[in-house]
Amino acid sequence: MAEIFDRLVIRILLAGFVCLMIYLYRYAHVIFYPSVKRQVLKQINPAENPADSLHLFSRVVGIAIIFSSITFNETSGFLLSIFHFTVWGSISIVLYLLSLYIVESIVFYNFDYTDEILKRKNMSYAVISFCHAIVIAYLTKTVMVEADNSIVILLVLWLYMLVIVGFSVKYFTFISKLTFNRLLIQQNLSLCFAYGGFSLGAGIIIASCFDQEHYDITVYCIQVLLKTTLSLIIFPIFKKGIAYIFPVKLGNDRGFEEQIDIDRQSYGYGFYEGCLFISAAILTTMIVNRIQFGTIYPFF
Amino acid sequence: MYKFFLYFVLTITYLGLAKALSPTEVGVQYLQNEKSFSKILKDPSVSVILIDTHSTGFLIKTYYQKYRVISGYDNIEEIIVRTSREYAKKNIKNVGLSLFRKLENKEEYLPVPPGSHYVGNAEYGEWRTTKTGVVKWYFWKAYKDFPKFFGWGKWRPTEEFHQQLRNSQVSNKAFYGVAQEFGINGRVTRENFPHFFKSERTKQINMKDLLIEYFKENF
Repeated sequence: MAEIFDRLVIRILLAGFVCLMIYLYRYAHVIFYPSVKRQVLKQINPAENPADSLHLFSRVVGIAIIFSSITFNETSGFLLSIFHFTVWGSISIVLYLLSLYIVESIVFYNFDYTDEILKRKNMSYAVISFCHAIVIAYLTKTVMVEADNSIVILLVLWLYMLVIVGFSVKYFTFISKLTFNRLLIQQNLSLCFAYGGFSLGAGIIIASCFDQEHYDITVYCIQVLLKTTLSLIIFPIFKKGIAYIFPVKLGNDRGFEEQIDIDRQSYGYGFYEGCLFISAAILTTMIVNRIQFGTIYPFF
Repeated sequence: MYKFFLYFVLTITYLGLAKALSPTEVGVQYLQNEKSFSKILKDPSVSVILIDTHSTGFLIKTYYQKYRVISGYDNIEEIIVRTSREYAKKNIKNVGLSLFRKLENKEEYLPVPPGSHYVGNAEYGEWRTTKTGVVKWYFWKAYKDFPKFFGWGKWRPTEEFHQQLRNSQVSNKAFYGVAQEFGINGRVTRENFPHFFKSERTKQINMKDLLIEYFKENF
């Protein structure tokens, strides 16, 4: 009984410690978003600015996803495991926020956080930012698991992941029929659904490329690069295939360009593109990762 | 059109990268035909025996061959090479035969029973009359392991074998032994290279049996 109670106390203490780390994150957030200092450090009123609430709490979800990859090894001592969590938790917070900052600088290069979220309360911007937060967190978690407590490998993989993510976010304008900048200014929700599906799909593909056994970092990076390139080849096949199987009709019978453009800005088209991207991405990971070709060696 | 071009470039890039960087491509040498042996094997005295052959792939096949390489008088190793379709098909029946020999930098490519190029060479052995009165070739003691390396088992070359070997060399035809003891249908090869003749390797795939087995395993 005493041992069970002791373990319960340890769990409660560690839960409290994780809360402390999230509290630290609150201040780290301010470093990267100095303009929100007033909002973050005082009590938040979600009803006042839903876009800001979504933007901020998406980061909290992201941090929770990343923290879930760090393990407490109580056998090496309670204090040491706390120390381990502090070190890796701090590293993950810094890497996560830095990744978000870089990716959002690429995607929202024409937009300013203060203008869009604090002044215009742009929900489209907030939802896209939410998707970034979740995807980056998931990818940071993946590289942290792959790094296996090695800071050098973590930094290499993190930089590598960031390069791939940087290229992938630019891919949206190439495969979507929606005009990103124009619709974001218009606070169009169709865009955020489509982009949300795209970014989550890209995240699933990139994470699956990183999720593999590794003994040598060079070979591992080569394999990731090959899988990423292969995914780029397979993804359009599924995207085109699904679009062919479930054709959509835009505009009226006369086919005016204006009507087609209006239809593309509807929620329905956003859902359609978002679902198309996610399903194509999931199927791509199946083709890239789940086919076992075997080797010649069982025969020889 | 632009997207098609990009997709094509991407596919070519992937194939190029996979070919250059994939670990499965590293370490397996390519053998175009029999002339390519001398590029892979640099020893001045070497004998190469085909011991296994295998192909992988669904639409585009890749052919592999496994060789036993005997160099000097006690160095034996096994190598796997990727080979051309033509060369693999040409030698499909030559398992257990020597496909390449080099003795004092003189190269021979005719498929013959392994060790044939030593038979009749007084530096390596002598002809002895057995109790049954048949004259057979025996290696000197220094080369006592050669019959094991060549996969002869208890078989030994006779004078008739030596004569027929010479005739085949003159007519440049593959030689499988006096009673066809070597090759995939040969008794000596079957006894001494059993891995290639394992029942699961030679089993014909029956779709009905395959489906019954599948349902038994999975449901």
